[in-house]
Amino acid sequence: MSAAIVTADVAGSSARRGRIGTLARRSDTALIGLIVIITLVATATLSDFRTLSNINNLLNTTALIAIVAVGEAVVILARQIDLSVGAIVGICAYLVGEWSGHVSGPFGPVVGVLLALGLGAAFGLGNALLVNVFKMPAIIATLATLSIYTGLQIIVNNGSQLYLTQVPKWLAGLRGNAWFGIGTFIWIAVIVLVAVSFILRRTRFGRDIYALGSNPEAAVYLGVKIRLRTYQIFALCGALAGLGGLMYTSQFGNVDATAGSGMNLTVIAAAVVGGVSLFGGAGTALSAVLGALLLGEIQNVLELTRISIFAEQTLQGAAIVIAVAVYAVVSRRLRRPVRREAFLSEHPTLDPAAINAAGGAANG
Amino acid sequence: MDKVRRLVLSWEAGLVILAILVVIIGQAVDHDLISSYNLQTTALNNVILLCLALGVAPVIMTGDIDLSIVGTLALSGVVMGDLMAHGTSAGLAITVGLAISLVCGLINGLLVVLFDLPALAVTLGTMGAYTGISFLILGGLAITTFPSSVVSLGSSNLTGTQIPFAVVVVLVIAAIMAYLVHFTTWGKSLFAVGGSRKAALFSGIAVNRVRITTFVISGFLAGVAGLLFLGNYQTAQAGMGASQLLPAITAVILGGVSAYGGTGTIPGVVIAAILLALLQSALGLHGFSGEGQTMAVGFLLIIAIGAPPLGRSARDWWRRRRADVVEIASGGTGESKGGSTSTSGASGVEVRSTAVN
Repeated sequence: MSAAIVTADVAGSSARRGRIGTLARRSDTALIGLIVIITLVATATLSDFRTLSNINNLLNTTALIAIVAVGEAVVILARQIDLSVGAIVGICAYLVGEWSGHVSGPFGPVVGVLLALGLGAAFGLGNALLVNVFKMPAIIATLATLSIYTGLQIIVNNGSQLYLTQVPKWLAGLRGNAWFGIGTFIWIAVIVLVAVSFILRRTRFGRDIYALGSNPEAAVYLGVKIRLRTYQIFALCGALAGLGGLMYTSQFGNVDATAGSGMNLTVIAAAVVGGVSLFGGAGTALSAVLGALLLGEIQNVLELTRISIFAEQTLQGAAIVIAVAVYAVVSRRLRRPVRREAFLSEHPTLDPAAINAAGGAANG
Repeated sequence: MDKVRRLVLSWEAGLVILAILVVIIGQAVDHDLISSYNLQTTALNNVILLCLALGVAPVIMTGDIDLSIVGTLALSGVVMGDLMAHGTSAGLAITVGLAISLVCGLINGLLVVLFDLPALAVTLGTMGAYTGISFLILGGLAITTFPSSVVSLGSSNLTGTQIPFAVVVVLVIAAIMAYLVHFTTWGKSLFAVGGSRKAALFSGIAVNRVRITTFVISGFLAGVAGLLFLGNYQTAQAGMGASQLLPAITAVILGGVSAYGGTGTIPGVVIAAILLALLQSALGLHGFSGEGQTMAVGFLLIIAIGAPPLGRSARDWWRRRRADVVEIASGGTGESKGGSTSTSGASGVEVRSTAVN
């Protein structure tokens, strides 16, 4: 009997996953469409937009945000949130820039990247520790660690700034380098996107994340190791923020105590605009990347049209509200007929058509 | 007796004890903490935080969140400042500014409730939008001259005393909010909605109306905070007060309002704000710079929110351990140990370690 229940559950969840997949694909396609339209219009009307340097600049800036946003998306997918990523980016930007200068030779980059990932993951584990051991809601725990990590960042910086000339050559040149004509930043973003997408779609970890985000109580009964997964998602998010910090150093050249302070809300905005549900369980890594790309492109176009740099924040805010509203409306529209079909397929005898036919047969 | 016991063990009492500790230690180390000058400055520096916290507390009590308060603060403050700079009378300018803050709150409420959207995302968006509009109005400029009435509201003392007028204003607001939250039907329904939206709906509470009013109040008090900001710092510029968002929410959570909604008190929020203010002032006097103070706030939040659950689980662990020891001492065999391992998964580990010992 229990075997029968299990099979039914598996069938149900796979059907549901299919549906969620369709929804995600639809919002992704819509987003890609929007990005393509903006790109085409901007290319046609703005001569500054179609220069190679501008496109490179746009993609590089977006790559940094996108990588951190992917980490944030994983956390949000599991119905948690991390408000401390900006501070993690800032600390890692400084420490990696400074420490990797001590390692020379061919291992420099390897050590630097490992350092960034490790430091970031350690900070992420700090967040998870508060959530798991102190039983704090993630929003409060990461609010607290945002204060603590920001304080640490200021202490570490000690009033000084890190300049591009002080960091190793490989790091300083990271942004300008290109493999096969495509910038290093873009490569890193693509690798992160592919890796996280694979983890989310093809591994037990990924399935657990969606289960946790969709229904935490049910996930526990399914045997999801909720504490382990919490450690893992925050560590992953922190590690990607650390990687973002490494790129930050290369991108902006000078790292001061306020580095990354505005990024918390930007990456959450990117994830939300991309279609990652703040209620957890819906969205993909690609959503976060597309959201980052859309926000980055809007910002770039605004800068180029010189409407006003002050309009930027207003439009970004409006974009978030509109995106959330559109997803809510669309997902409700999509859910309604699906629910009815699913119900009828389970209870074919209750199908109005079947009842009518049966009634007709009985009458006849 | 039971009432006394409950009062002594309450969250607020714990905060008061912490505050007293801060005062005693701070006063012992640096003797300026309780000087009237320092108290006055500390109070003036924190009225805006408390005003924002009082507004956002009901929102959090119903299980929502409002991040847009600093956007509303900036927008209404900039509008007031701009109107006054263009010669509008202070009264009219303040009325317009506060009306705008009401509208900002209403927009949040309508978006969240009528469209059934996550409050975190909506107010994240409107925070950007409201702040952005304040940028559009003033650009990079700052207004620094204000009518004397506004300045005296923000930075003068109550006549004949050393109590800042702004502090009195905010304490009156706190009293009104405490009345509304703890002595009215609306206040009771806040906790019902925060506890369970569905249950509140089934028991006949106008859930939507309650939620929208909390956002409107939150917006309005953010507008008042904007006015106090103008008076206190005598500056109106785009994005003003942005750094107050996280401290304000920290004060609410530290005050015992559950981040999931359904619990909390207004006096708790006031005491938490006072505790934060005293702690920062004491650290500042002792030569800790801004980052030390920021970190202390973070640690305080962790201790306050994280310690009770940790204490509970430590107590449970201790009880289980003792129960197991008693069980083993009274001739419990391998079977009984195995039994307890299978029935309570978490305690199984403890049983084994006890057995080894």
